Amino acid sequence: MSVHVVSESGGQDIVALQQQPIGAAELIRQVRGSEDGAIVTFDGFVRNHSHGRATKYLEYEAYESMALGKMKDIVSQLHERYAIRRVAIVHRLGHLDVGETSVFIAVSAAHRGAAFDACRHAIDILKKTVPIWKKEFFEDGAVWADGELPPAPPGAKSAS
Amino acid sequence: MPDVAPMIRVKVLFFGRLRELLSKAEDHAEIADGATLASLFECYAKKYPQLANFRTSLVASRNQEFAAWDTRLGAGDEIAFLPPVSGG
Repeated sequence: MSVHVVSESGGQDIVALQQQPIGAAELIRQVRGSEDGAIVTFDGFVRNHSHGRATKYLEYEAYESMALGKMKDIVSQLHERYAIRRVAIVHRLGHLDVGETSVFIAVSAAHRGAAFDACRHAIDILKKTVPIWKKEFFEDGAVWADGELPPAPPGAKSAS
Repeated sequence: MPDVAPMIRVKVLFFGRLRELLSKAEDHAEIADGATLASLFECYAKKYPQLANFRTSLVASRNQEFAAWDTRLGAGDEIAFLPPVSGG
């Protein structure tokens, strides 16, 4: 599955969830433009250990429609806050072996500062607000990873 | 005709450990018009007692947006009870 969104700057950003391996080089090529001076990327991949146990593999699942919506929200936020040009955020789903990329983010900008800040912000917010879950499989069992509870909006105090 | 609150139908989705706990990813619920997310969760917690312990470690969504527990449901809503997220 792949979804493209048009950013406020008129360029095309990329937001996607996919079962197949993430092609980082292609994403970098897609966000790169001659008006840019920098691209910052984040490559999150599967670690071979978790809480002192040897990880065999991970399985990721998502609430796909909502996850894509939240990923688009992140892209909008980045454009509002930082002087960046294009963003690509791709998350992998399904079975991932140790060393495989689970999430890849690329941000292009005229200057490096905005690209670094926006890329860091994107992964931090993704981990808190995008409905994706990972299950960690070990030699002797499996657990759902401890996650972060997304902040719920305040309750409606006014009557109906 | 007795005066009965009209019922609405909503779709309910379960993910991660909740999906495993209930052995289902999707359900349809009939609930009184005007019911809240909290009351819908209570219905499920009665039906599946193993859910009750999870209430404080879940967040709810209505039509793909995070929603407060006192949010009122509408006919045809897509509801989900979401465990802590762990993407990345």
